[in-house]
Amino acid sequence: MSKFYYLEGVLLIELIGVSKAYNIVGVKIPRALDNINIRIDKGEFVSIVGPSGAGKSTLIKLLICEEKPTTGKILIANRNITQLKPSELPYFRRKVGVVFQDFKLLPQKTVYENVAFALEVCEAYPEEIREKVPRILDLVGMLKCKDKLPTEISGGERQRVSIARALVHSPKILIADEPTGNLDPVNAWEIIELLERINKRGTIVILATHNKAIVDRLKRRVILLKGGKVVSDQMKGGYVI
Amino acid sequence: MNWIPITRITKLGLTNFWRNRWLSLASTLVMTLTLLIISMFVIMTMVINKTTDRIKSKMDITVYFNDSATTENIADLQQKLAARADVSEVKYISKEEALQIWEQTQKNQQIKDLITTNDNPLPRSLAVKATTPEKLNDIDNYLLSDDFAPMIHKISYEENKVIIDKLLAITAFIKKMGWLFSGIFIIVSILVILNTIRLAIFTRKSEIEIMRLVGASDRFIKMPFVIEGALYGILACILAFILMWLGVYVIIASLVTQYLGAAVTENLKSFFSSYIFYIILLQFLVGIVIGVGCSLFSIRKYLKV
Repeated sequence: MSKFYYLEGVLLIELIGVSKAYNIVGVKIPRALDNINIRIDKGEFVSIVGPSGAGKSTLIKLLICEEKPTTGKILIANRNITQLKPSELPYFRRKVGVVFQDFKLLPQKTVYENVAFALEVCEAYPEEIREKVPRILDLVGMLKCKDKLPTEISGGERQRVSIARALVHSPKILIADEPTGNLDPVNAWEIIELLERINKRGTIVILATHNKAIVDRLKRRVILLKGGKVVSDQMKGGYVI
Repeated sequence: MNWIPITRITKLGLTNFWRNRWLSLASTLVMTLTLLIISMFVIMTMVINKTTDRIKSKMDITVYFNDSATTENIADLQQKLAARADVSEVKYISKEEALQIWEQTQKNQQIKDLITTNDNPLPRSLAVKATTPEKLNDIDNYLLSDDFAPMIHKISYEENKVIIDKLLAITAFIKKMGWLFSGIFIIVSILVILNTIRLAIFTRKSEIEIMRLVGASDRFIKMPFVIEGALYGILACILAFILMWLGVYVIIASLVTQYLGAAVTENLKSFFSSYIFYIILLQFLVGIVIGVGCSLFSIRKYLKV
C-alpha cells in the first residue's frame, strides 16, 4: 500500500555534509546548520541538545522534510529525502512520526477522534481505524480518556495523545521536538519513559531537548549542537555545554 | 475503487460549508444574483432576437397606387418586379380585396360601415416579398425611381424600416448592458468567493497543518475546498432557477395576463419552458466554473501543500 517502500528495508539515517542557510536579502547571517555529519542506526535513541539558536529545530525540520538543506544529503534507508517529489512527501511523513512541544491537537475533537483523524486523512479503512486507535491509546495509557476533549486533560496526557497520533501509522522513526517543554518534571519524565518504551519496540527516537535532567538520566547517545555545528557526539552522554 | 476518501473528502467539504455558514450564505447569494442577471439578459436577448426575426420574416414592401394609375402600368410594374432576382413573390391586391382585408381586421361594425363597395377609398397595391429581408432596401430604392413616381401613392417599407431599426438598436443595447452587468456581477462574486475560501483556509489552518504532518495527501487537503466552491455554484444555480421560475410564472405572467392577455402569457411560458434546459445548463456551468475556479485559485495561493 505504501508508496514509500524504501523505508521498509534496512533503516538508518545519514546526514552527509548538511548545511542550511536562511537568506534575508541584504543581510548576511550565519548558517543555521553548518556541515553536519551524523549517522543514526536502527534502534537508537538519540538526544539532540544545545542552546537556543543552535540549530535543533532546523535539523528537525530537515528530517521531516519541512525544509530542504542548502547543501548536503539526508539519506533515510539509502534514499535521499532532499530529492523527494511533492507527491511522495505524504507517504514519507506516514513513516516518520513527529511530536511537538505544543501538542498540535484539534481542540474540538476528542482524544479518540484526534488519533483517528491521522488515519482518516490517510484514507484508511474504518475497520483499520477501529482496530488501531484503541491499541495505540492503550500503549500510551490514554484509553480510559478516549472520549475526553484535549481541554479536559492535563498537559502530560495531551502529549501522550500526540505521541499516540504520531505512532498510529507505525512509523520507523519518531521525532520529538521539545516534547517536555510544557510539562512539569514528573509528567516530563513519564513522557520520556514512554519514548523509551517505544524505542525498545524498534523505533528510532530522535529527541530534541533543552532539559538537562532528562538527558543526564537517559544515558543514551547525545549530540550537542552549537552555532549550527556538532560540538560533541557521545554514545552515553550527558548534557554539557 | 476505494470510496472512503471520496466520502470523507465530501464530508469535510460539507463541514467547511456549514462551519462558515454566514460566509457561505453570502457567497451563495452573490453567486445567485450573478446567475440571475446573466440568465435574465440571455433570456431578454433571446426574446428580442426572436421577435426581430419574426418581424423580419413577415416584412414586405407594399406599394400603394394612386387611383389615376392605369391597370396596364401596374401589371407592367408587377412583371418587372417579378423578374428581379431578389424578389420572391409579388401579389396584386385589388380594391375589392383590400376591402375584404379591411373588414376582416376591423371588429367594430361602425368603423366597418365607413367603407363600402360603392365608396371605397382603399388603394390598389402590390405586396412584394424579398428573398431575404436585407434585399428590401434595394427593392425600395428601385421603386423610388422617377419612372414610377407618378403612379405610386405610398411605399409602406419606409415606415416599417424605422421600427425594425429601432428594434435592432434596442437588441444591441440590451446585449451590451447584459455583458456589462454580467461582467460586473461575475467579478463581484469571484471576489466574494475568493475571500470566503481564503477565510475558510485560515480558520482551518491548524487542521491543515496537522493533516500535512500525519501524511495526508495533497488531494485530501485540497479537495474539501473545491467541493465547498462547487457547492456555492450548485446551490446558487438551484436558488437562481427557483427565483427565475417564480418570476416568470407568477409575477411576470400575472402582469402580462393583466395587460397583454392570456395568449401572450401562454407564449411566454412556452418560450421559457422550451429554453429551460439551456438556461439551467448555462447557470450550472457558470456557477461551477466560478465556484471551483475560485477555490483552486485560493488553494494555490494560500495553501502551500
